[in-house]
Amino acid sequence: MVMTTAVRDGTGTSGPPRAASPTARRRARRRTYLWSYVYLAPMMVLLLAFIVYPIIASLGYTFYRWNGIGDPSNFVGLDNFRQIVNDSIFWRSLGHTFVYAAVVVPVQLVLALALALVLNNRRLRFASFYRTLFFLPVVTSAAVIGVVIQLLVSNFGDSINSVLLDLHLIDQHIDWLGDPNFAMAIIILVGIWHTFGYNLVYFLAGLQTIPEELYEAARLDGAGRLAMFRYITVPMLRAVGVVIVVLAVIGTFQIFDLVQVLTSGGPYFSTEVVNTYIYHLAFGGSNANAVQPDIGLASAASFIYGLLLIVFSIVQVLVLRSLAKRRGTSTGRQG
Amino acid sequence: MATISVGYRGRRRAVALLTHAALLIGGLAWLYPLFWALGSSLKSDDEFFGRGLSPLPSHFLWANYLDAWREASFGQYFLNTLLITIGTVLVTLVVTSMAGYVLARTRFPGRGFCLGLVSATLFLPHGYTIIPVFDLMQRLHLLNSLWSVIIVQASGGVVFGTFLFMGYFMAIDRELEDAALVDGANFHQTFARIMLPLSGPMLATVGLFTAITAWNSFFIPLVFTLGRPELRTLAIGMYAFIGENSTEWTLLCAGTVITLAPIIALFLLLQRFFVNGLAGAVKQ
Repeated sequence: MVMTTAVRDGTGTSGPPRAASPTARRRARRRTYLWSYVYLAPMMVLLLAFIVYPIIASLGYTFYRWNGIGDPSNFVGLDNFRQIVNDSIFWRSLGHTFVYAAVVVPVQLVLALALALVLNNRRLRFASFYRTLFFLPVVTSAAVIGVVIQLLVSNFGDSINSVLLDLHLIDQHIDWLGDPNFAMAIIILVGIWHTFGYNLVYFLAGLQTIPEELYEAARLDGAGRLAMFRYITVPMLRAVGVVIVVLAVIGTFQIFDLVQVLTSGGPYFSTEVVNTYIYHLAFGGSNANAVQPDIGLASAASFIYGLLLIVFSIVQVLVLRSLAKRRGTSTGRQG
Repeated sequence: MATISVGYRGRRRAVALLTHAALLIGGLAWLYPLFWALGSSLKSDDEFFGRGLSPLPSHFLWANYLDAWREASFGQYFLNTLLITIGTVLVTLVVTSMAGYVLARTRFPGRGFCLGLVSATLFLPHGYTIIPVFDLMQRLHLLNSLWSVIIVQASGGVVFGTFLFMGYFMAIDRELEDAALVDGANFHQTFARIMLPLSGPMLATVGLFTAITAWNSFFIPLVFTLGRPELRTLAIGMYAFIGENSTEWTLLCAGTVITLAPIIALFLLLQRFFVNGLAGAVKQ
């Protein structure tokens, strides 16, 4: 983000900049400051009320047993934290979230980079048309995708199942989303499909920053395609690559919509991810597994997960940065 | 000599042709679920079950759309979604353009603190704080209203929008502003008549980002309309539809098309801004 660009003193922004007495100039500056605060106020109010305050407030709820109605009064100390840490479903949800991220991120990134390399070819016509095709799922809502996929893989009539049966790939009907062995795999596949377009566009943006002259020079030197990829593309993409990886990881750890719409965490918690787990704690369970709403417990779970994520993001950024830097200098190039 | 060059060019053309074929077939297959939904929305119930995987209906049953719009309440959901999206976009654009302008152009006391706060929230994980927001809305008596959804969604996007506008305004030449000041324009006139008209591309970028997020948003409207079915958005309406009328699948498919068509149309119209905006965000 650009933040360090020089900003001139506020004096210039109101009243004639030249030929004014010191008092008039001071008054003008004060007026500019005043209006600056007025212009900034709506943003700061929204930020403080709906982003900063909730972070602090949810910390307070963690000490209460509270169903969300009225004021919290039943103080339970650290009981909620104890309960969450001892809840096997919390750890299973965390495990599912990690599995989801661990599969989706590498698969998506490799596929996206491969397609970006194809589409980045300057001689390829209609590249932006193809980009649009592969990007479109990003624009569609998770709710729509959930509904469509549910209908597509459902067990009625002529469906995926009958095709697979005809091809002898399976020997009986499979309830894809109702079977604990398959539900998570379906969610992962759909997850890869849904947000693939982001990574494609990010990689294309990164590739377009590489000067064409580098490739031309390499070609004159007799470098092959593989060598150019290895010694030009990869090092030049490193800086953007770090950002793409971090964004992809953060995005997958926030997974909620798809799971809620496709399985609501079921069957038997086999697809419960941390965000659906927290949602079920806070607002009651689904029809399949009824849970009494407990805001305190949900806040404790959120807090633990938030902390884990912050630590994880910091470690991730540090590791990737140092990795990028070391490799960058060893090949004589700084990303 | 000639044969070699023809052979080379021929091979290159073959490779190009194969690439195009692969990309086109792959791209259309990639969008199969969407084509399938579109086709199924026009099928009869019999055909929906009998020829389930075919994206093409044998004849077009437009009545599904009428039924979905009226009987399945998708008309109401559409209106709610439209109002929420327009409201969120307007609030976000006004709030973030003003804040971005001030942060880019004046050096008021406390600017550093504001910037620090704004950037810190970029790194905090979001989505875990819905409960206090829910509680706050309850206390403000805004729960179960479209306003609650608009305000909460707008506040989720203010940080990103403010940064984008700040960067954009910083890059605009100062001389225009100075000239306006010499002509006696005040703070507001400079902003509204000079800077805002210059920021068209950024208004489009932030506006389209916000519109897509708001139109597709699931979690926030889900939580804030739990008690009021008549306030549901398209996304929530569809989700509820599965639970409530669990047999009229063709109507549900019509609902998905009603949900997808406007936002895809908007995206195709303004995709240049959206994709460039995304790409710019990563490059920075």
